[in-house]
Amino acid sequence: MRKPLPTRATVTCTGLAIFYLCLLLPIAWLVLSSFRSSDSIQSGRLLPLWSELTFQNYIETFQISNFITYLVNSFVIAFSVMVLTVFLGSLGAYALSRFTLKGKRLFMMAALLPQFFPYVLVLIPFYVLMSNLNLVDSHLGLILTHTSITLPFALWMLTGYFNAIPRELDQAALIDGCSRLGVLFRILYPVAIPGLVVAGFFAFVVSWGDYLFVSILSQSNQTQTLPIGLQTFMSSLQVRWGLITAGTVLAIIPTVVFFSIVQRRLVSGLTAGAVKT
Amino acid sequence: MSSVLRSENNALTLWQNLSRKSFGYAILFPALLVILGLNLYPTISGILTSFTNQSLIDPGHSVYVGLENYFKLLKDPVFQISLLHSLELTFFAVVLQVILGLVMAHLLIQKVPGIHFFRSVAMITWVLPIIASVVMFRFMTLPSYGFVNILLKDVGQERLARNWFGDETFAFLLVLIMHLWRNVPFYAVAFMAAMQAISSDLYEAARIDGAGEWRQFWFITLPNLRYIILVMVVLHVTFTFNNFDFVFLSTGGGPVNATEVLSTYIYKQAWNGYALGYASAGGVIMLVVLVFLVLVCNKFIKGLSEE
Repeated sequence: MRKPLPTRATVTCTGLAIFYLCLLLPIAWLVLSSFRSSDSIQSGRLLPLWSELTFQNYIETFQISNFITYLVNSFVIAFSVMVLTVFLGSLGAYALSRFTLKGKRLFMMAALLPQFFPYVLVLIPFYVLMSNLNLVDSHLGLILTHTSITLPFALWMLTGYFNAIPRELDQAALIDGCSRLGVLFRILYPVAIPGLVVAGFFAFVVSWGDYLFVSILSQSNQTQTLPIGLQTFMSSLQVRWGLITAGTVLAIIPTVVFFSIVQRRLVSGLTAGAVKT
Repeated sequence: MSSVLRSENNALTLWQNLSRKSFGYAILFPALLVILGLNLYPTISGILTSFTNQSLIDPGHSVYVGLENYFKLLKDPVFQISLLHSLELTFFAVVLQVILGLVMAHLLIQKVPGIHFFRSVAMITWVLPIIASVVMFRFMTLPSYGFVNILLKDVGQERLARNWFGDETFAFLLVLIMHLWRNVPFYAVAFMAAMQAISSDLYEAARIDGAGEWRQFWFITLPNLRYIILVMVVLHVTFTFNNFDFVFLSTGGGPVNATEVLSTYIYKQAWNGYALGYASAGGVIMLVVLVFLVLVCNKFIKGLSEE
């Protein structure tokens, strides 16, 4: 009697189980711990007792001075970066896709180049430039900085999207008396919504998660964002991991919600910039 | 394309045509300004700074010093270690990501119940802020009550428990694992999309010729994924080699330089050591090494495809 070979489905399920255990365990552990009391976290037991579960960490996190400031700063900056990236990116992409411009190819390459530059190198003259413009420690400075990081990708991706939209649509609209900008907003925008959403999502995520630029260009609570806040918590709250985990959960909720909305289009969008154009 | 457009619109006068063109430039200008002004200019300026002794204390006054910074850097033992760590991290991270990404993609294209759920949550680790991932991993590996040590204790292997991020060997391994954790699903989902685009006729023909699963993978799947593999590799060589957040936020380069990489070393030289010129020279070396790495990857993967 020979043992039957494991079926294809069994192998697949086992493999998936291993991968997803590794991927989701840290997140699950973080979320679980954020609802545990300090004593529970330090008890040395893996799972908490029901009686040890509490909202206390979340309440206290909001009471820590600055947490709300960090949250508001993060939102203001990431949201502005998202809007600015999509707006400037789509304007530029419209130009690149629909108009004959001298040096178009050169510009497309030049726009892509900065993706390879080490940020730590760019940061030094960046700081000098920003202090000359009086934009150190200001929201505007950070918004422009993050936009400069996210814009090249948005420009490439949206140019690809617009190129795929038939030109007859613009023609018809122009003949009907639509202005050139009107073509972008009324004709191209509705058709390119998936691309705009992915470009916006990418911009939001990059800005929301940036630590490096904020750590140098922000010098007071007025402009510091959540990544700086969480890092400060980690080094200053030492043993209060209940608060640190609760703060982290709060910091990831917006990206997770946004992600659940765009996830279907994310990959095609992310690789489109590289593949389509 | 626009010439077609023009021939269709014979009514366009010269003036209209000119304003049409300038309209194109006008709407491209803001993006151009942000990208070139805030990316290209700082980089060129950074390269120029690397030949000076500029200091953060008085950035306005600096003197041209030629290649002095570069000679000093190449002799700096910590710089050498950082360069080595950056290369090791990039190599192991990208190679393992491609392999694990292929395995995971292969699992994700199977038809089992609930597979849509697995596909849709896959990229969750990629969208989280890096600081959040670092909190998770540091919290799981805490010496006294982290998940890993509690688990080791529960299965009776307490002697293996340690302060993982404080350990010279494991700290580097953990940085590598964090990179894998974040990026493998991105590879998997991208590879999966490319695998689904391969015509099933090819596999059908291979089966008729008696090719097993392994040969089908090797001779049909892999060659068809060449382009997407190249894209992902170039993207992630760049990401890993330039990445600052993972190391800086988890270990700060320690313990005893065990995880120091170029980006963290240069950052500290600039902002803690005030040596802007010196740090810029480090950044330029990083840039040169990265360009070299990208060219090598390109050559290597293109070379594979010609075989």
